[in-house]
Amino acid sequence: MSDEPTETPDATDETGSVVERTQRELPSWERIRESELFVVAATTLAVAIFPWLFARAPVVSGVLQGYQDLATLILIWGIFAMGFNLLLGYTGLLSFGHAAFWGGAAYAAGVFSAQVSSSPILIILAGTSFAALSAWILGFISLRRGGIYFAILTLAFGQMAFYMALSPLAWITGGENGFTGVELGKLFGVFQLRYPVPGLDWLVGTWKYVLVGGVAVLCVAAANRILHSPYGMVFRAIRENDQRAEFVGLNVWRYKLMAFIISGTFAGVAGSLFTIYSAYVPLSSFYWTTSGEVVIMAVLGGVGSLFGPILGAAIYLYVENIVSGVQQLTLPFTGPNEYVTLVQEPVVLMDGFGAYWHLILGLVFVAVVVLFPRGIWGLLMDFGSAVRKLGGGR
Amino acid sequence: MSLLELQGVDAFYGESHILRDVTLGVEEGEVCSLLGRNGAGKTTTLRSISGARPPEVRDGRIVFKEEDITAMSPEDISARGLSLVPEERRVFPNLTVAENLHLAEVSENRSNTVGRSLGQVQVEHVGMTTEEVYDEFERLRERKSQKAGTLSGGEQQMLAIARALKQNTDLLLLDEPYEGLAPQIIADVEDAIRRISDSGTTILLVEQNAIAAMDIADRCYVIDQGSIVFEGTAEKLRADDETRDRYLGV
Repeated sequence: MSDEPTETPDATDETGSVVERTQRELPSWERIRESELFVVAATTLAVAIFPWLFARAPVVSGVLQGYQDLATLILIWGIFAMGFNLLLGYTGLLSFGHAAFWGGAAYAAGVFSAQVSSSPILIILAGTSFAALSAWILGFISLRRGGIYFAILTLAFGQMAFYMALSPLAWITGGENGFTGVELGKLFGVFQLRYPVPGLDWLVGTWKYVLVGGVAVLCVAAANRILHSPYGMVFRAIRENDQRAEFVGLNVWRYKLMAFIISGTFAGVAGSLFTIYSAYVPLSSFYWTTSGEVVIMAVLGGVGSLFGPILGAAIYLYVENIVSGVQQLTLPFTGPNEYVTLVQEPVVLMDGFGAYWHLILGLVFVAVVVLFPRGIWGLLMDFGSAVRKLGGGR
Repeated sequence: MSLLELQGVDAFYGESHILRDVTLGVEEGEVCSLLGRNGAGKTTTLRSISGARPPEVRDGRIVFKEEDITAMSPEDISARGLSLVPEERRVFPNLTVAENLHLAEVSENRSNTVGRSLGQVQVEHVGMTTEEVYDEFERLRERKSQKAGTLSGGEQQMLAIARALKQNTDLLLLDEPYEGLAPQIIADVEDAIRRISDSGTTILLVEQNAIAAMDIADRCYVIDQGSIVFEGTAEKLRADDETRDRYLGV
């Protein structure tokens, strides 16, 4: 559980008693799980096998029906949702305007690629810097108000960005058509993004995925580092009670602004990657539904944990892209295309099932919010510890 | 000059006039206590001092270490060495005990940087180290990786006081530290307050529990309907049956 760090505050406490030393020498599973090295290593491993498992592994990929591009998209939105959660889950601020940073970065990255340099790394840096700067300005203004007013202000700014891109700035953004002139060069001047990785294409697929996956691992490492730093602790203190945090002597407003900028920066990384991913920037990246989607992803997966929102992004995109394509809902093991077929004639439960994907997502969302306030990630964690308890461990 | 002085303070919640011409002083090194019934204006006084808004201070001055702090923000006041331990839920329940204590350090670091960059805040008094705090409050050491919300009421009170002590606290404001605590625990908290006072920290204690407060205070003020109605030593208040009966009901 990434929301319960136990180590950081001990930084000043060097003398620890004998009991504590023993604990340090014999790290428990919990301690290992929270160590930075483990988090980064596990993330790297998961990111590396994800496209294979999702799109190419026998049986599993057949059941999931995933594909390479969706795996890439999930990571991109995962970065967005994770950064968003630093604000919502850890600092307790609900922004409805994060589309401004995602879209702003996407456009900035696109324009940069067409006008300045087509190097993917530089494109990401350009888009991210633009988003960080926008977050600083919008946060500076929006954070003057708290609660619902803050949410409304961010929403208003997001929509403002949308209408700016739609018409006054159409000469740069391409207006309703989106930005179409994205130029993508080679990664480090060597690797063509759309080419498969020699020898590893069965695992990770293309260089594009390697780039997105690498950035995703860096983002997880950065977020993990932030959450375990004094900043993360102060963010959580503010979430619990910002007035009390003020009495402790913390400049709450400045920390909130910092959280907002950090979260906008992550949105910027994701937005820039999205431009690289699709080689196109749709106008909808500024639309308020983009802000809404990231809220849903974060809450679905579980706010207040590092990985929950990434899982939420995966589930959301999975329903949006795979479930929505299911024409007929049939009973498992019926029909000709199953691995194990019991009945040759498919038993159809529902026709046109995929068309209801919004409804399905809505029902899942309501169920999660009502039944599992810690999200699906929280549910999995509880399940995991219950299993370990059954097994006699801790 | 006193460490803290309120000079004719008038404070308002919206349009309701809560504090009327409150004048009081806290001398360096003493335990001063502000007594009164529910709704007399005790908490409003503390909130005015610590910079919380509301109340709005419309008239009068609040002076701490010879500096006017009337219009300052809570974190600036805190950076000058004045810590408030607010009543009820005084800790961050979902942070561990150690994290609650560590927060004090983060804010102290901040005030140091601000002090250096602006040349305004002179941080002279350095707070206790984590070890010193744990030596003072053994029970907190035992529970340091536990979430603060799982501590008992008395332990939470200790933790809140401990956190204040980790900062560069010259004046500790305690708002009803005995509220909701069992008599045995009250004795523990009293002990802690005495030790803190002995170590040189000045304390302003706000209490409804007049008997417990008189035990520990050097001097007392009694507030009623927003005005100070008594000022004097604890002995004088003990001898003053009329005041005690009329304003404190003991």
